[in-house]
Amino acid sequence: MPGMMTRKEFLKSFGLGTSALFCAGTGYGFFGNKKDRVRDIRGHIFKNDAPKRPWKWSIEGFHYASDGTTVQCQICPNRCLLEPGDRSVCRSKVNIGGKLYSMAYGNPCSVHVDPIEKKPLNHFYPTSLIFSIATAGCNFRCLNCQNWEISQKKPGEVRHIQLFPKDVVEKAKERNIPSIAYTYSEPISFYEYMYDTAKLARAGGLKNVLVSNGYINRYPLIRLCRYLDGANVNLKSFDDSIYRSLNGGTLQPVLDTFKTMHREGVWFEMTTLVVPTYVDKPEMIKRMCAWILKELGPNYPLHFLRFFPRYKLTRLPATPIATLEELRGIALKEGIRYVYLGNVPGHEGTQTYCHNCHKILIGRKGYLITKFNLRDGRCKFCGTPIPGRWGASPLSS
Amino acid sequence: MVSLRRLIIWSIIGTGISSVTTQLLTIREFLTQFHGNEITISLVLFSWLLLTGLGSLAAKTIKRPSLKIYTLLTLIIALWPLLQMIVIRGFREALFIHGSSPSFYTIFFYIVITVSPYCLLTGFILPYAQKVLNYNHQHFESGDLYITDNIGDILGGALFSFVLVYWFKPFPIIALTSAALILVALLLLLRSRSYILLLTTLVLISFFYSYALDRTFERHSLSTQYGDVIRYIESPYGRIVVTREGPQHTFWESGTPFYSDANIVNSEEKIHYPLCQLDRVENVLLVSGGLGETLAEISKYDPAHVDYVELDPYLTDVALELAVIRNAPFLEIKNIDGRRHMKMTERRYDAIIIDLPDPDTFQINRFFTREFFALAKKILKRDGVVSMGVEYSQNYLSEIRKKTLSTLYNTARLYFRNVIFLPGQEAYLICSDGELSLDIPARLRSKSIKTSYIEGFFYGNVTEDRIRKLKEGIDTNEAINTDFEPRLINIAFQEWFIKHGTSPRYFIVILLVLTIIYMVFLRRKEYVLFSTGLTTMGVEMLIIFAFQVIYGYIYLQIGAIVTAFLLGLLPGAMVGNTWRRRGASKLMLSEGLLLSLLVLFYVWVAYFRSELHPLFFLGFCFVFSFLCGFQFPVVASIIGEQSSPAAGCLAADLCGASVGTLVTGTILIPLWGIRYAVIFLILVKISSIIVTLFSGNKAV
Repeated sequence: MPGMMTRKEFLKSFGLGTSALFCAGTGYGFFGNKKDRVRDIRGHIFKNDAPKRPWKWSIEGFHYASDGTTVQCQICPNRCLLEPGDRSVCRSKVNIGGKLYSMAYGNPCSVHVDPIEKKPLNHFYPTSLIFSIATAGCNFRCLNCQNWEISQKKPGEVRHIQLFPKDVVEKAKERNIPSIAYTYSEPISFYEYMYDTAKLARAGGLKNVLVSNGYINRYPLIRLCRYLDGANVNLKSFDDSIYRSLNGGTLQPVLDTFKTMHREGVWFEMTTLVVPTYVDKPEMIKRMCAWILKELGPNYPLHFLRFFPRYKLTRLPATPIATLEELRGIALKEGIRYVYLGNVPGHEGTQTYCHNCHKILIGRKGYLITKFNLRDGRCKFCGTPIPGRWGASPLSS
Repeated sequence: MVSLRRLIIWSIIGTGISSVTTQLLTIREFLTQFHGNEITISLVLFSWLLLTGLGSLAAKTIKRPSLKIYTLLTLIIALWPLLQMIVIRGFREALFIHGSSPSFYTIFFYIVITVSPYCLLTGFILPYAQKVLNYNHQHFESGDLYITDNIGDILGGALFSFVLVYWFKPFPIIALTSAALILVALLLLLRSRSYILLLTTLVLISFFYSYALDRTFERHSLSTQYGDVIRYIESPYGRIVVTREGPQHTFWESGTPFYSDANIVNSEEKIHYPLCQLDRVENVLLVSGGLGETLAEISKYDPAHVDYVELDPYLTDVALELAVIRNAPFLEIKNIDGRRHMKMTERRYDAIIIDLPDPDTFQINRFFTREFFALAKKILKRDGVVSMGVEYSQNYLSEIRKKTLSTLYNTARLYFRNVIFLPGQEAYLICSDGELSLDIPARLRSKSIKTSYIEGFFYGNVTEDRIRKLKEGIDTNEAINTDFEPRLINIAFQEWFIKHGTSPRYFIVILLVLTIIYMVFLRRKEYVLFSTGLTTMGVEMLIIFAFQVIYGYIYLQIGAIVTAFLLGLLPGAMVGNTWRRRGASKLMLSEGLLLSLLVLFYVWVAYFRSELHPLFFLGFCFVFSFLCGFQFPVVASIIGEQSSPAAGCLAADLCGASVGTLVTGTILIPLWGIRYAVIFLILVKISSIIVTLFSGNKAV
């Protein structure tokens, strides 16, 4: 019958279709070697997503290249190449008329006062308060982000208040808060706002703290370091493929950041979230510690945080405390002097021990200090200088 | 030698048994793979019905059917379910990032690719069977095919729901329900004297059974997803998996970890925020969340009695066995639905603590509704407290979270004078008619209660600033949440899409366009079947949802509901087959009856909502599907057997059913509630009545 498929034709088509599906499947990686497939969740540029003109909370970008039409942001290793009308991976930068603008300047969506230990920073003026700000945006795509409601949004998509750099400094001073933290989302995505605020804060006698994923290029970081007093930078893993598949970034630029901060004399502490089945391999932690010791030395504290299911990474168990203890043991054994455990209230790994005499230097119960055995930055028992930035004893106030 | 006709009829019945069981197992599998909300059920049923419908349509193209191909297809259908189940479990890890929860589109894509071979085949084989029979001069009408298939479906549904589900895990169930089909395939091969093929088949079958009946193999199939599985239980209420990570135990339900050892922050916050508000704690009702340190924290108040309500006895049994629940003199574990317990208990409580995930299913939503707070108030002592936590980002209150918190706040305010939110790791809602304090450490100090987390962290995390900002975020104009208009589920679904940066819009548009294209080619009488398929599955979804609202669980009952629907189809089809003369008027009568049933359902939902015995619902399913079954042979007879109506009618029925499932389950009920979903189904049925009226007795 004309137009009708015969059985033979049908079977032929069915066979061909199945083969095609299998080929496509193999091409997509369904049937290939699992180890060869590194899933890369790195972000992409938002084409034609920029507004027609800058808004009140815009400023021309600080570090970018331009050929008059296309611009390339030079702040972070994403180096977004934006044609007019495009928006960057971090969602904060746009190309309007051949100029790069930051859309996150003076419009923080999150403003809080936190204890410094919350960042976490255990060797930086313990128990002091810190004025913490964030705008929307992030250059990563972490599947477990606890601030995804601001980090994975454009500045125009969130509620914000108006707080230009001088206002931030004034607010902090008004409330007698000695430091400002650029935190919560990713401060590198609001680099211009952070830089100007930090400059004013330094002039006003306040300290500046960066809490970041460390995914920033060398030159803008060096400029920023002039005004930075402290930082907590995530070392999310020591494996590039994990960076790509869980965070949407790459490892090397983060390592470079640590080296730059070390050279520039910025006090920093490192944080590793121990994600079960990804960042819990002792062998990887050993390699990580070896790198830290070689490039940065033994003095910068390392925090291992307990993972809890969050955002899109909800099908994993919480990190076993035994794993955290094991990793802490490895790091101490390798030679890192200060290794802390986070998200484990009451654990001995939250205390500070002198690396020389092993006595408790700072006894902590949460954010409260129960013991403070430092005098002028030295161990009260053996006199060893303790790395960090120390003020007066918090117990004396 | 058994006659060909008889063998093929048995194979159709065998296909029915296998396909219904596989469908139910697949739904349950996906419920455990993707956190098991109603969208998942709808997507599986939608894909299943649509692909089966497409398979039926494909059979239309076959003019010269072959018995050998039929036998091979039968064999593939018998063996494929095991492979499908392994693929669903294993492919997940290959396709998605380990540990991540996928988005709507990836879930849909995953469902389609994993079920399509089986569904296309089962859809194809039924009309093909009829063609094989007719080609071999064995007269077999479309109505006969429909009835025979239904017999298999009912047998499969009943066998699964009332026997197998209680005794076996999925792989052995597949082994058992494929047996009939395997036997028929072997007999067909014997009959055709294809001995080499027979031998190959026997080898394949022995492989099939050695894997399907191997317990270790089944447990191993879950380990890529879960890790070191130490307990695996298919309970009537869901799949419980317990894993071990070193000395730590993690309990999983529906593929999501809900408990890992030593979660001190959670235990302290959920217990002390409400209990410290009370001067004296005598009786406590804990709904879920009794694992780990929870009971130890409660014991600090020296309570006289704690009722710990957990629906699933297997969960508490295994937790007791692993010492994750520690027995205490004050503790009474009750394995019953929490709402049911609240309705039945005569005890009066000082505190009711709800420890459930955010309300993203109807089952959980029932603990966040107006009806719940009303019930809670009844069983609370004077100035008693109710508390529950919902997810919340400490640093920014998004618009969608604002809606969740506001809805919950407004709902609780209907019954309690004082309602506060405490911004901890979760946002804790505390409700009471008595005074409530925000200074938790001070309250704990006054009671000399020691804590690990609250003492040291509270003042740094739950600052006045954060409490004020949270309070300012509450919008008192937000709607309230009820059992049947589940506002919080609607918000949870919206948030799910926001989280994954997707929107259901494209899907809805594509579905709409495809439906319109399909309807252009549809005969008028087939539209009646399309609309009946749509309303029948719509009603099935509504009953599933209503069941969840009233009884609180669905994992087990889903089999009974599906079986009740199948059970109605058979007598309906038989009656239709007998009374098909003067079909138009009888079709009209059945249309009127279907409409009346829908109106009846609407009246119950809108005005009564009383808790009926499950048999009423199952009876309703039966009558509805009886009428659905009745229409099939009547319509086929009106179209005329000479026009080969089987494939077209089956396709119309299945496509309608798939659209009904999806529209009702994923759009109407979550977005507008059960009432509006029924109104939509009523309108669809009215449209088909109009079509019937205008088409008279004409075939097209």
